[in-house]
Amino acid sequence: MGLRCGTFRENYAQDMAIFRTRLHWGVLFAFLIFLFTCPLFFSDRILTVMTMIGIAIISVHGLNILTGYCGQISIGHVGFMAVGAYTSAILTAKLGWSFWPALPCAGLVAGIAGLIFGLPSLKIKGFYLIMATIAAHFIIIWLILQLYNVTGGPDGLAVLKPKIGSFALNSKASYFYLVMAIACLATSLAINIVRTRAGRAFVAIRDNDLAAEVMGINLWSYKLQAFFIGCVYAGVAGALLVHYYGFASVDQFPFMDSVWYLGMLIVGGMGSTAGAIFGAVSLKLLDELVTIVGPVLSKIVAAQAAASLALITRGLVIILFLIFEPRGLGHRWGMIKAYFRLWPFSHEE
Amino acid sequence: MAKSKLALAALVITILVASSLFPASANAAKTLYIGGTMSLTGPYAEDTAAVLAAYEDYAKYVNETKRMAPWRNEKFPANITLEVLWRDDELKAAKALTIYEELKAKGMLLYRISGTPVALALKDRLNEDGFGAPSMGGGPYLITPPGTIFTYYPIWTDDLAAIADWFIGQWKGTRKPRVAYLTNDSGGGRSIEVPEMGAYLKKLGYEFVGSQIVPLVPTTPPTTQLMWLKENKVDLALGVMINAGAQPTIKEAVRLGMGPHLDYKITFGMTASSPLPVFAPAMGEVGNGFVVAGSFPPLDDISIPGIKFCNELQKKYHPSKWVGHIQYVAGMLEAMTQVEALRLALQKMPFEKLTPRQVLEDGFYKIRNLDTGDLSATPLTYGPGKIEGVDAVRVDQLQKGKIIKLGVWPCRHIYKR
Repeated sequence: MGLRCGTFRENYAQDMAIFRTRLHWGVLFAFLIFLFTCPLFFSDRILTVMTMIGIAIISVHGLNILTGYCGQISIGHVGFMAVGAYTSAILTAKLGWSFWPALPCAGLVAGIAGLIFGLPSLKIKGFYLIMATIAAHFIIIWLILQLYNVTGGPDGLAVLKPKIGSFALNSKASYFYLVMAIACLATSLAINIVRTRAGRAFVAIRDNDLAAEVMGINLWSYKLQAFFIGCVYAGVAGALLVHYYGFASVDQFPFMDSVWYLGMLIVGGMGSTAGAIFGAVSLKLLDELVTIVGPVLSKIVAAQAAASLALITRGLVIILFLIFEPRGLGHRWGMIKAYFRLWPFSHEE
Repeated sequence: MAKSKLALAALVITILVASSLFPASANAAKTLYIGGTMSLTGPYAEDTAAVLAAYEDYAKYVNETKRMAPWRNEKFPANITLEVLWRDDELKAAKALTIYEELKAKGMLLYRISGTPVALALKDRLNEDGFGAPSMGGGPYLITPPGTIFTYYPIWTDDLAAIADWFIGQWKGTRKPRVAYLTNDSGGGRSIEVPEMGAYLKKLGYEFVGSQIVPLVPTTPPTTQLMWLKENKVDLALGVMINAGAQPTIKEAVRLGMGPHLDYKITFGMTASSPLPVFAPAMGEVGNGFVVAGSFPPLDDISIPGIKFCNELQKKYHPSKWVGHIQYVAGMLEAMTQVEALRLALQKMPFEKLTPRQVLEDGFYKIRNLDTGDLSATPLTYGPGKIEGVDAVRVDQLQKGKIIKLGVWPCRHIYKR
């Protein structure tokens, strides 16, 4: 009997396992320990950046399921975040609900809004679907502004911080824990959704919807499921965002953010859960970097030109990724992992 | 080789990002920061560039002379240097939040607000941390508690109330004048659509017709909206617009024969967000009859001490890079307010013990009749619950291509929440 070398997958369960080796589990626990001890050694500012990244990750996971896996391109994602945000804001600020039931309701209502605006997806796709999702954004914002007595219209709504019993999550650290816990849960769900029958159907629809339909996949049902799930994620992210601000306003959901969320997906890699995380982290950190570099550069060039660097850099990064690494950072990460898995017997491609 | 270069580049970027996230050792020398978040990209880019230039000029002036202004006798402490700290927020709430945390960590004791989205995102946070902040946005939402954001021009509902006062005073028709909103599609633009505004117009004797919304920066002329005004026989259209929206709107109105001196008689009145000194040179006589409330005196009127001061600073510090945008005056007012708050707070507390809340309570809240050299309609006064610095609204009109001051009306404070 020869010596076993490498990691073998001898049954279906092992083949489908996310964490296959002790090293995987070790890395996961080490990461979680690092993540949840961050408030002990990081400043409020870093915690704020990380909290915003966490919220972006939740939202991009939703967009990834809808666009990355199911191929339904949406540029109205931030509109659905606004639906979730206002649902939670109204339930907590106007009706006196606790944050905890309001949060799933925010996801649910955003999901239902996604179902409604996803209806055209059966008839239209590609460019036309993009236009429909853009319209969704503007319709949602318009409705929020019109429903003055409910949403506060342009005045917005003051929103309370979540509480656990009498303990309010007021501090940066406490909110960081909340967002990171939900981001981890959202990531875990996103990974598992893709491994279900629905997840496989999404991929089939994305790759060739005609072939998928011929194989018996119900396009109407699965496309709407993708819209629902994607928008639930957006709704939860939106709710977390407004409770962090302590205020809900339509100005917190600009249309351009939907484009940047799509940009995150491109940079990270569409159709990859890790890619969604990489995309959100890298573009948010890039944003921080160029914001800081702008004032430094303003000593050499005009302040306005220096500030424009942020926009130019973000756009350039997305273009470069489209040209040189269209499968995104997630794919690059996969290659790095493969390289070390084979090491020292790695070979050039 | 290529891989090592890539790895090296990635390492450098990572270090840059990581190092930027850690707080700088604030206040190593005796330096106090002024400034805050700026919208140097996006729709307010031109305005904010002028604001930033004014901040930098004023900081240099105070550092060199230790004086607050040529017409004032008070001195800024000699051992403290001012430095302008800013970041571009793109007028986005999410960016403003992380910028705020960064500047706070760097040791800023006060802040500035670049526009409505940023004001709404930060106002509760500023209150929690005890930060006072002058604001370029002037929507009525600033009145809503907590109230640590201050304006140096009237809030927009008061601007429009002054125009309504002026218009009704010169109305000669036999029926009630018909008024509508023609405002931009933003939180700021929509902020005038509050019941109090409608009630005030009704009280004055207007018949309110409805609202029309124009994009913040229109990509096509707002013909439909203007035709709606015409069909509804509107006499006065009130709104919040920036110049990028007001100019195409008025050009299209003229093309449709709508204006105070054209076939269809209508007057367009906007808030200070669409300042006439920017509008007038671009539009000339085409914009005749356009009314703006709450704006500043034009930069070429050197009979006004504040304007003369602005011009002198520009000549001294950047004679070859003249900033002709009127929001330079806004920046000057903001910088004066911030430095005055710091000066007052320093009278109560030594530099080492100064906190944001002290700057708010012993600084901003103690500003009484701050003489701005007539840059603002009246001297500025702030306090708890009084965030609107001025008590009067200056109303100007474009006549024969020139800015004509129609007068000054008292602030009506119609938005009370």
